[in-house]
Amino acid sequence: MTGPTSTTLSVHDWKRTVVPLGVFAVLAFAVPVALSGNRYLAFVAGITLIHILWASGMNLLYGYTGLMPLMFAGIAGISAYFAVDLTSSGWSFWIALPLGALMASVAGTILGLPSLRLKGFYFTLCSLVIQTVITLGFVYFAGLTNGDTGISQIPLPTAPGGGTISPAVFDLILATAAVIGVVVLIAITRSSLGKRLVAIREDDELAEMLGINVTRYKMTAFFIGSLFAGVGGALYAPYIGFISPRSFDVLISMNIWLMVAFGGRGTIWGPVVGAVILVPLSFLLQEYYTVKDVIYGLLIIAVIVLMPGGIASGLKRTARPIEAAAPGMAERRGAK
Amino acid sequence: MSNANWILFLSTLSTGLILGSIFSLVAAGVTIVYGSIWMPNAANGQFFLLAALFGWTLTVSWGIHPAIAAILVIGISVPLSYALEILLIRRFYDVPNRNISYFVLSLGITQILAGIFSLTYGQWSDQFQLPPLVSGITFIGPFPIANNRLAVLGLAVAILAGLFLLLRYHRYGRALRAVFQNRDAAALRGVNVKASYSLSFALGNAVIFAGGILFALAYSFDLTVAWTMAITAFAIMIIGGPGSVLGALVVGMVFGFTQAIVSVVASPTIAAFSYLGAMLVILLFKPSGLFAK
Amino acid sequence: MSEILLEARGVSKRFGGVVALKGIDLVQHRGEAVGMIGPNGSGKTTFVNLMSGHLKGNTGSIRFDGRPIEGRNPYQIAQAGLTRTYQAVRVFGELTVRENVAIALVDTPNAIGQAGVSELADWLRIGHRFDARAGGLTLLEQRQVELLMRLVQQPKLMMLDEPVGGLSSAEVRTMIAVLSELKSRCTIFVIEHTMKVIRELADKVVVLLAGEKLAEGPPADILADQRVINRYLGNIDA
Repeated sequence: MTGPTSTTLSVHDWKRTVVPLGVFAVLAFAVPVALSGNRYLAFVAGITLIHILWASGMNLLYGYTGLMPLMFAGIAGISAYFAVDLTSSGWSFWIALPLGALMASVAGTILGLPSLRLKGFYFTLCSLVIQTVITLGFVYFAGLTNGDTGISQIPLPTAPGGGTISPAVFDLILATAAVIGVVVLIAITRSSLGKRLVAIREDDELAEMLGINVTRYKMTAFFIGSLFAGVGGALYAPYIGFISPRSFDVLISMNIWLMVAFGGRGTIWGPVVGAVILVPLSFLLQEYYTVKDVIYGLLIIAVIVLMPGGIASGLKRTARPIEAAAPGMAERRGAK
Repeated sequence: MSNANWILFLSTLSTGLILGSIFSLVAAGVTIVYGSIWMPNAANGQFFLLAALFGWTLTVSWGIHPAIAAILVIGISVPLSYALEILLIRRFYDVPNRNISYFVLSLGITQILAGIFSLTYGQWSDQFQLPPLVSGITFIGPFPIANNRLAVLGLAVAILAGLFLLLRYHRYGRALRAVFQNRDAAALRGVNVKASYSLSFALGNAVIFAGGILFALAYSFDLTVAWTMAITAFAIMIIGGPGSVLGALVVGMVFGFTQAIVSVVASPTIAAFSYLGAMLVILLFKPSGLFAK
Repeated sequence: MSEILLEARGVSKRFGGVVALKGIDLVQHRGEAVGMIGPNGSGKTTFVNLMSGHLKGNTGSIRFDGRPIEGRNPYQIAQAGLTRTYQAVRVFGELTVRENVAIALVDTPNAIGQAGVSELADWLRIGHRFDARAGGLTLLEQRQVELLMRLVQQPKLMMLDEPVGGLSSAEVRTMIAVLSELKSRCTIFVIEHTMKVIRELADKVVVLLAGEKLAEGPPADILADQRVINRYLGNIDA
């Protein structure tokens, strides 16, 4: 019997959460397999899966906690460079991956610390500054990162017991990561942490007044979100084979943000849909690479102007209010 | 002091003055728009670049005299500003916390312009150079300086002075300042708030365009100046105090000199790090800026 | 008299050049309902902000339930059992009432159980609105949600800032009835301009004027005090 505030799964929940999750998991694995005959298309699928992971992390920070972390790509980059440095020094990828992600989380939490007290625009600006510092750092410390030239020919990892991993198998590893990421996000949103984050998003002063340690939970959100960024970054480097400071600059953060805002932040599946639409779109515009920027820029403007809740809240008219929160609520107390 | 040192000193001084006044112009433009309609414009760097590139097209492709080109460029910013304002900016005037919507909007505009520039100007040239306003060289002691750069400096200072006087003494300027400080009180005193919004948006952008075309006349440039300028302008605005034109002027000059001095002893990247560091310090400890009222 | 719950000694607060509170001494015992009145700008809300941790005071000491709380963060003070409402009603407008209450319960050491929540919701006559969006409720209903959110935390002290502001006279009577019963569950401190509320609820009234305590005593005495009438009550409908 469900009480007024319990969180046990009801029949309603099964339909809304477990079924889409099942469908998603099946698709995540099936699509790369189905496309394995065409390496290019399978690659697009793989990149989409990485972005689903990233979008879920961004969703945790932006959709559920109401923070707009423009340094997200920089954090992914820290993990990517760190993991690549480790593997090229002989470490196993399977150790470099968690270490890189951990490094990213720690960096993300520490770098996020100064901005914790800031609200709205000032928080976003601080995040932008930190992202810019990170990108400049990637360029400047060329000894570690090879600067603007970037690091190329990053190989796919070998299996833990030795033996090569084919790209097709790595696709499935990406699928695993994406599914795990979504599951973790679902678990968080249904937990007490999820409630705290929503409270912080809606009105962080009121949340603090009700006994929630806002600073600590913002840091928790930073830590977990940065883990998503970091795992994605460490997987991205060997998959695409080449990284440079441009791979992880502010425009990349904006693009990931766009997937969340466009797909519908504060919903689990909105950002997934956003990634699934926008990543293949950018590949489609590949020959016209720079048109991609124009299109993305237009989409950002369109999202801000037309669809504050993103596509998902537009389509799901019956969405619960917690999932259709308008941007205005989150950024309520901008500095003035 | 030896001639070589004099030359170094005067060269750094002149670079500092020119860069400083251009930084001040752009930062003033950004701070005017933020102070009046609460719009932090991350696309200011792209606007700056747009002015520079327009100037290049007018002078290099169409052979127009640089002085006329400069006037045309600044002039064209006005209808462009009004168009942008009517299309996009106006929708948000009554939205609470619009500064963050504007900020993201301006990031979208940045991405669009960056894409367009790559597609067009980026394909045509790596480096852009405009013909000088006036030719010839003047000697200050042992130090030779291009008359062109002196002219740019003179114009920049003149525009800054004009801006300052406009805001402080002219009726429109006073209305703008009243709206900066308290929009409701200004409305009660009969100021047409919406009109002053449009005016300040146009004024702010015109000043940014002025900075862009003057920069292009003094120095050669490439597409990356947009992003560098945007960061610098934001840093100046935040440190000087959002909405404070005086702050933009003073901090802009400081930044100009810092850049000139640091470029002599280290790389420009270090200068960038120091701007960002200073901006962070202010954001965390005195977010209203150094010159806040 | 029961033991002291809230003790403020010499509490002052200045904002730049403006002195909002000047050396306020106030003692509230457990179970003693205190009312605070005074003209706008006299420092009443500032006082509550200092107690709840939303502002740090410049001088003075504050003890709650025997422990010093000045300088502590709002969430720590809330967890110690001191809660407050705001002049303008404040709930999580985009969330349902159910979700609002869930948030109130999430970090409360002393929270009430599920059965208790239902009982309180019914007593406040808000149970039937549990799945409604909080922002869509009437003002009175939102005030009740605010009370519910605090009551489920079983606080020791509830500081209410103008709880009947904006309500019609019928709604004011409802709220007074609710608060009267609430007094038995929890010690209350009420800031109000509506004297009816003060008269019916307060055991002790404190009058603030320009940041200083003008008078303190039982409601009957205070409301008849000539100084209070001259400086404040004479100008309002008591």
